[in-house]
Amino acid sequence: MDREDSRTRFTNVVMPHLDDAYGLARWVTGNRADAEDVVQEACMRAFRGIAGFSGGNARAWVLAIVRNAAYDWMRRNRAPTVVHVDDLEAIEHMQTPEDATSAVETPEAALIARADEARLEAAIAGLPTVFRETLVLRDVQGLDYREIATITGVPIGTVMSRLARARGRVIATLGAET
Amino acid sequence: MTTDNDRLLLNAYIDGELDPAHALEFERRLGESPALAAERARIEALRGAMRERLPRETASSELRRRVTALARPRPSVARWGSGWGSNWGSMAASIAVAFVAGSVATFVAVGPGAREPVPELLVASHMRGLMASQPIDVVSSDRHTVKPWFNGKLPQSPRVVDLASQGFPLVGGRIDVIGLTPAPTLVYRARQHVISLTALPAAQRAGGTIRPVDGYNVVEWTDGELAYWAVSDLAAPELENFAKAFRAGDAEP
Repeated sequence: MDREDSRTRFTNVVMPHLDDAYGLARWVTGNRADAEDVVQEACMRAFRGIAGFSGGNARAWVLAIVRNAAYDWMRRNRAPTVVHVDDLEAIEHMQTPEDATSAVETPEAALIARADEARLEAAIAGLPTVFRETLVLRDVQGLDYREIATITGVPIGTVMSRLARARGRVIATLGAET
Repeated sequence: MTTDNDRLLLNAYIDGELDPAHALEFERRLGESPALAAERARIEALRGAMRERLPRETASSELRRRVTALARPRPSVARWGSGWGSNWGSMAASIAVAFVAGSVATFVAVGPGAREPVPELLVASHMRGLMASQPIDVVSSDRHTVKPWFNGKLPQSPRVVDLASQGFPLVGGRIDVIGLTPAPTLVYRARQHVISLTALPAAQRAGGTIRPVDGYNVVEWTDGELAYWAVSDLAAPELENFAKAFRAGDAEP
C-alpha cells in the first residue's frame, strides 16, 4: 500500500471516529490535555497500521488502538497506584463499600434521574478504569457488547459483569450522596 | 433480592442484547419481581441522566488539524527532523488545506458514477457528512421546516417524523447524490451519534434487515414508492429501534 492509499484509507477509516476516540481517551485518562496526546499517539499508530485494517468495524478498530495508547500513556506518565490496569482479577472481585451499600439500599430511580452533570462525572470518574471504560463505551458511545469485548480484549461475559457492576456502583454513589 | 445472574440478565435486557426468546422470558420475570423492576428503573434513570447531562465530547479543531496533518500528502518528514516534534504544528494549517483539497479530489475520482452498490454509496455519503464541518444543509429540529425545504428542491419529499421523545431528535436534512439520483437525507441524532436517513425510489421490497457495511450499520425498508435507508455507527439493536420508531411514527402533525 503506497502512501496515497494509506492517506485515503486513514481519512475514511479513522477520521470519522475522531470525536469518539477523543471521548474515550478523555474518560480513560480523566483530562482533556492528556486525551489529546493519547489521540494523537493513537492516530499515528493507526496511520502506520492502516494497511493491517481488514475492513469490518472501523470504529471498534480505532477505539481499540486508542484504548491501548491510553493505557500505555498512563503506564508511562502516572504513578502505578493510579493505574488500575494490573491485577484485574482483584478488581473484578473487589467488594467496595458501594457494592455492599447497593445490596441493602435501593435508591429511588427519581433520585438517580436528578443527578446533575458534576455528580455524574464524579461518580463515573471514581470507577476503576476497566469498569469506567466499559460503561462509557456502552452508555456514552453506544457500542454493543460484542464491540466492547473486541475493544477491551475480554470475553462478552466479562463485559456483562463489568457493565452491571459499573452501573451498580454509580447508582449506589449517586444514591448515597443525598 | 436479586441475584448476580439476574443483574447481568437485566443489564443485557436493557441493552437489547438478549435474543427474543430470552427477552420474553425475562420480561415475564420482570413483571413478577418488584425488586427487579425497581433495579430496572434505576438503570434506565442512570442511562437517561448520562444521555441528557454529560456533555458531548468533541475533538478540538486544533487536535483535528494535528491528526489530519499526520496523513499529509507529501512524505517530507525527514526535513523536520526526527518526526512529530514541536515545529510541525505550526505547519499543520497549511498542510491541512492541501490535504482537504486532496481528499476532495480523491472523493470525486472514486465517487458516484461507477456502478458501486447503493449501500456503499450511502455509507460514503454518511461519512462525508460526518467529516464536513456542517453535515446538514438545513438545520432544524422542526419537521415543518425540514419537509418544505425538500419540497422546493426535489420531486419527492420523504416522510419526516418527529422522534425526539424517543431519543432521536431531528437535526436537519441534506441532499445526497446516490449514483445519479439526488436523494433527500434526513439527519437524526442518537446521543452522540448521527443517523443519516435517505429516501430513494424503491427498486424492490425490503423488510428492514440490518447489515454491516464498511463498519457502519445499514438498514433498509420500503414504504410505498420509496425505499428508506438508515446509516449509522449506532449499535445494531439501537438502529433497529430507530427504524421501528420511524416506521411506526406519524408523519402528519
